[in-house]
Amino acid sequence: MHISEGFLSPQVLAAGWVAAGVGTAVGLKKLKTDKIVRVAVFSSVFFLASLVNVRIGPASTHLSLIAPVGLVLGWSVFPALLTALLLQAVLLQFGGLLVLGVNTTDMALPGLIVYLLFAARIRRENGPAAAVFAFAAGFSAVILAAAGAGCFLTLSDPGMAGAVKVFLAAHLPLALAEGAITLVMVEFLKKTAPDILSE
Amino acid sequence: MPRRLRCAAIAAGLALAAGAAADFRPAYAHGTGYRLSDKKPLSLEFSYSTGETMSYLEAKVFSPRDEKFAFQSGRTDEDGRFAFTPDAPGLWRLVVRDEEGHLAEAEINVTPEFMAGEETAAALESDAPKGVRLALNAVLGVSLIFNIAAFVSLRRRGKAV
Repeated sequence: MHISEGFLSPQVLAAGWVAAGVGTAVGLKKLKTDKIVRVAVFSSVFFLASLVNVRIGPASTHLSLIAPVGLVLGWSVFPALLTALLLQAVLLQFGGLLVLGVNTTDMALPGLIVYLLFAARIRRENGPAAAVFAFAAGFSAVILAAAGAGCFLTLSDPGMAGAVKVFLAAHLPLALAEGAITLVMVEFLKKTAPDILSE
Repeated sequence: MPRRLRCAAIAAGLALAAGAAADFRPAYAHGTGYRLSDKKPLSLEFSYSTGETMSYLEAKVFSPRDEKFAFQSGRTDEDGRFAFTPDAPGLWRLVVRDEEGHLAEAEINVTPEFMAGEETAAALESDAPKGVRLALNAVLGVSLIFNIAAFVSLRRRGKAV
């Protein structure tokens, strides 16, 4: 999911930084001091999830857990993922520093979107309805991030127009897996720590 | 035209026509040939952090003389390998990229001794950590996240007081 250095045009890189900057500013403004530890925990979860390799059919990929992080953190998903992606770029050589803004936008925005679409419904509902919303959140977060990465690549180089299709096809199994993982995590949190999903 | 000269021209024309008729293979501007090269090639293997090989992907080699135009381009093989034969000592760069925004870049220090066939080229260590270094960097990353969180928390509490 991480886009490497050297693929994107300066305009796309700048747009990514602007979007990431605005999202992070709003996220920090809305972040209450007593929720900072929660942001650190989920930022760490995202940071470590990228090290978990998942073999799906002939291909292998790594987890992202964008949806669980987004559902719990809301707007704070931006500063959480910016920090995690910065450390991934420096310590693990995933992505890069120039492309950090685009990668943050590409992964935090789907997290925010699934929060706005599904978080309230998941809180309200119980049983199968909540499970369906949780699965849909996990599935759509990966699909949105994959489509976003494909769009960033196509905007930089129209010759990569096929990238969107390639991205979506390649990430479909991961989307299904993350839908299932989000479902399990949401069910677990609703039983053990419902207050985490409460706001 | 004198008669003797005309006869010579006709004879030359007939000789050319006879030669062309005898060798009726398609005519090329240049002949082709091959031989086993005595130059040593360099072969690198590329893989993702997941361990999966970077198979059949676009690869470009840049020589120390020209950073802009590729010295050689092609695709990695099924096992993620790409080989090239450097023609001069110096720092060579090999870039492999896929259509999903992943890019691997290797720098190889080709020494004059390698060119003379005396030693192997020194491939620069990849920056991507593996094994224990990867585990230590992961722990360091989590530690840094909590340190940043503590710093932000303390600053906010300080401001509130």
